[in-house]
Amino acid sequence: MRALCWNGVNDLRVETVADPEILNPKDVILKVRLSTTCGSDLHLIDGLIPTMRAGDVLGHEFMGEIVDVGRDVTKVKRGDRVVVPSFISCGQCWYCQHDLYSLCDTTHPKPELQEPLLGYPTAGIYAYSHAFGGYAGAHAEYVRVPFADTDCFVVPEGVTDEAALFISDAAPTGFMGADFCNIQKGDVIAVWGCGGVGLMAQQCAMILGAERVIAIDRYPERLAQAEAFGAITLDYTKVDVVEALKELTGGRGPDACIDAVGMEAGGTGLQQAYDRVKQALYMETDRGAALRQAMLAVRKGGTLSILGVYGVMDKFPLGVLMNKGVTVRTAQQHGQAYVPRLLEHTRRGELTPAALATHRFSLEDSPRGYHMFKHKDDGCLRAVFSPE
Amino acid sequence: MTAAGSTRKLIRGARGFKATITEVEGSMNTQASETTLDEAARASVTIGRPIEELRALWLQPITQSRIWTHFADVTALDDRTAEWIAQGPAGGEYRWCTKVDDSLPNELRWTTLEDADVANAGTLTFQPAPGDRGTELHLDVRFDPPGGPIGQAVSKLFHIVPREIVLKALYKFRALALTGEIPSTGPQPAARHGGADR
Repeated sequence: MRALCWNGVNDLRVETVADPEILNPKDVILKVRLSTTCGSDLHLIDGLIPTMRAGDVLGHEFMGEIVDVGRDVTKVKRGDRVVVPSFISCGQCWYCQHDLYSLCDTTHPKPELQEPLLGYPTAGIYAYSHAFGGYAGAHAEYVRVPFADTDCFVVPEGVTDEAALFISDAAPTGFMGADFCNIQKGDVIAVWGCGGVGLMAQQCAMILGAERVIAIDRYPERLAQAEAFGAITLDYTKVDVVEALKELTGGRGPDACIDAVGMEAGGTGLQQAYDRVKQALYMETDRGAALRQAMLAVRKGGTLSILGVYGVMDKFPLGVLMNKGVTVRTAQQHGQAYVPRLLEHTRRGELTPAALATHRFSLEDSPRGYHMFKHKDDGCLRAVFSPE
Repeated sequence: MTAAGSTRKLIRGARGFKATITEVEGSMNTQASETTLDEAARASVTIGRPIEELRALWLQPITQSRIWTHFADVTALDDRTAEWIAQGPAGGEYRWCTKVDDSLPNELRWTTLEDADVANAGTLTFQPAPGDRGTELHLDVRFDPPGGPIGQAVSKLFHIVPREIVLKALYKFRALALTGEIPSTGPQPAARHGGADR
């Protein structure tokens, strides 16, 4: 089959690789209908995440059609049109049974690579380096999906492929970030980042009853999409964000702040210069401008919900959180806990994830898609790939 | 023990290779004690199943052949004895046979029989976990490499450190107990050629 392979830093090529096969009894093989780029892929492509290996097939956000099933698969069948969360979860362990699916205790084929880094291994994930399991990704014609009964969700009629695609990751990650905020009547939620996850977090915060959602970014087309979703927007290159948030909240500050930016945050001023130099020297992996700003902006006793992907960051002002009594919630997405609800919100038109699909490419043209996505050319929010 | 050796010991200690401190304390020989840190490992996991079920699963010969694949090929010779063949990094092959003592309800012990290339002994204890969390498994394996305690380190012999050997076996056992399968990407890991899949 054809697949998009990582060959080294910023070296992506579409190659012919072996087709995946059923390896375990609860596996299925999916014929990929659509897959999409994720901001976290850029960390892999840029070489900021170790344990990538030449030939790794990228892509962890996808949907498709089941074409082969293992002998112990009972809930889904050949021909089903399904969406699959990016973390592989067994549904049987303590973590899965407590809706903490990305922390699954049984799906990491190489736990010894991750235990020294994190203390305990997480769930495996498609195409996210070998420290996260070394599973092949979905920018390909076919992909193997383990634990299909837990991880494949049939897409109902009335939900398009493009809408379902983003319910694999961007939408559940965003929903989880809003869910972490425990939104109460009258709450104001500020969201740093108007990429796929940030926009979904904004829409989900509205679904969960936020009084007002404030979206922060620098790209006009992304801010325009946030505004179209109903958010108040702030361009952080034009205003003092912390002051603007105070102004918009009567001096209280947002009840919760969601960081949907992560380790490659843009920023301004000296702090940004400091972070860029340290990152370039591999002294830290993360530039944390958005997170630091969110920590400062959140109201006393408020919630900081971290969705951005981080590795190692210094100059982390922990005292800001401690002295203000801030609750921090964070995780990689526990998608399986949210997908059914999100498919229903989408079917009813309350959630519109298809709006993220700004650019479409064939799989063969996917390296160009990543280039556009990385550089945000032509307002590219998400590049969507189709193998056909 | 050389300075470099001490440093290595400290690093490993910091990363969890401190499992044998209690055994080391009882030793009269400092040199042997320090080397022991390279030769033994302990790891623990909690599995949401009752002791009896886990004990029975562990004792199934097919289980042993599935959970040690990162380290050795294990073939059952009968209900309680098995042959182990471990590959070294340079094509070396090490063989031994083990016999399991299952006379205690909450503990399984095994030792190698005579003529083992690498003598070793293991103890697996089962304890009830608090609340509804199931059972705690504590696995302790000690190796006695050829040449005695100051001979070749196990990590050099097998190209895998003892801690990794036991941790990965327990992880696989938990996956097997809870899901009936062991996570795998072989022979189709993300990277090409499969050879990159450790």
